[in-house]
Amino acid sequence: MKHHQKIPHPRLQWRLAALKNGLQDATAYRIEFLFEIFGSAFVPAAVQWVLWYALFKIGGATRIGGMTYLEMIHYTFATLLFSQVRGGDHDFELGDMIRTGQLSNYLLRPVGVVEFIYIRGVAPRLLIAGICLLLGATVGLWFGLSPSRMVGAMSLALVGNIIHYQIGATLATTAFLWEESYSLLMVKNMVVSFLSGELIPLNLFPHSFQWIWKSFPFYLYVYGPAEYALGHWSHEEFIRQLGFSFLWILGAWLAIRASWGLGLKRYLSLGG
Amino acid sequence: MKLSRYLNVYGTQIKNNFVREAVYRTNFLTAVTVDAIWIAIEFSLFSVLYANTTTLVGWTQNQIYFFLGVFFSSDALFTILFQRNFWNFSDLVNRGELDILLTKPIHPLFLALSRSINMTAIFNLFLGLGIAFKYAPAAGFPGGIHWLKLPFWLGFGLLSALLIRFFFSVWIFWTERSWAISRMYYQFFALATKPDTIYPKAIRYLILTVLPFALIGSIPARALLHGLSSYEYFLLFLVLSLLFLINTVLWRKGLRRYQSASS
Repeated sequence: MKHHQKIPHPRLQWRLAALKNGLQDATAYRIEFLFEIFGSAFVPAAVQWVLWYALFKIGGATRIGGMTYLEMIHYTFATLLFSQVRGGDHDFELGDMIRTGQLSNYLLRPVGVVEFIYIRGVAPRLLIAGICLLLGATVGLWFGLSPSRMVGAMSLALVGNIIHYQIGATLATTAFLWEESYSLLMVKNMVVSFLSGELIPLNLFPHSFQWIWKSFPFYLYVYGPAEYALGHWSHEEFIRQLGFSFLWILGAWLAIRASWGLGLKRYLSLGG
Repeated sequence: MKLSRYLNVYGTQIKNNFVREAVYRTNFLTAVTVDAIWIAIEFSLFSVLYANTTTLVGWTQNQIYFFLGVFFSSDALFTILFQRNFWNFSDLVNRGELDILLTKPIHPLFLALSRSINMTAIFNLFLGLGIAFKYAPAAGFPGGIHWLKLPFWLGFGLLSALLIRFFFSVWIFWTERSWAISRMYYQFFALATKPDTIYPKAIRYLILTVLPFALIGSIPARALLHGLSSYEYFLLFLVLSLLFLINTVLWRKGLRRYQSASS
């Protein structure tokens, strides 16, 4: 009797392999991986906490933007979890590949380069998302946060991660024109750090400036998930925002198709 | 005579760097844009906060903007003179490129830290100075002859940044890769972008002593606005001297550990 080992479909196979490869790559230097998590999580959260401490405890304020000190601390805790998921610098890798000509190697393979780089880069983020979800669901109970809301919020954060990469992948195509996209991607990351809500809650923006953060999808990365996890968004609002995020994904996907299509026509494959 | 030799070498480095910047003009423009956006974001952060409050632990909005001007200027000086050299510092050790510098009749650290000069950050320096000048009167800075203190305090901020960055970089002699520690430097650097008085006591103590990030911009801005006591001057001297001493010991120990990979 013959035993047939179940082999995943080739389309799934390469994606799983890329995911595994990305995870191994990120965790090869475990100490550095931990350092990175510590640095990118606790220091920004500490800076945020310091601001609230200065305003409330030293300055004597009771409410800022309608929020109490405790509410600010809860927000800081939530952003600490979701800001870990939003990141990933794999869009920089795309820009580098175009600049150095390494892209040529990928163009010969029967897999989409943009998707391949994303899957490889998202692997450590998925691991971190799992840890953050576990942490949020357990420690969050202490703060009175609902675990089911935490799951929903983490899902939105992961959708945000996709949008973040899609925008980066579109911007990376400027490397076809100017040979480098590093600066543009840096600018994007700096704007995201402010408009995603990981530094301050976005409702602190004056009313006349609220349109700024609402015009970009960046609030869906950290502020949106934090608002839902903390119970500030209703389920209906969450569904509405999730719908918006899918529209952003669709728009960004079209942008990738157009920009990569145009870029590849200009590509000279030097050094590949 | 020895000083003139160092000045000669430095003059050549500046000339080489000018030529390089002239070749990569697009890079110059994009780097200037990145810096301008960073400054705009720091400004926006405080603008949003001050839309919800009138003072931040005694700092008015204009005083915070003055602090940002001083901080950006001090940081720009560091970026111009040293930042790129620290990016390359780990390569010197890992790839054994330090060998060549060790054989030169000039201090290897001088060569290692003066090779690359980032001309694009000159824009940042002027922007920072412009901000400081614009907000100085409203912030309560007496102006006039007191502006002469500004170069001293900017130099002080530069020296502090140099010593702190070196402290974070010198561990490359003991670690395989240094980017995680370098990344930690930039994470802690975020503490320097706010005035030290807003921090809780423990953190404030940390950034004034063990990791003296407050000496880059906060102390210079505070000294210019309100002045410092003699005791505070003594403490600043003590902190920088100790950091210099620790760096010297680590550098010497590191050199003894250095395996000269290229030989």
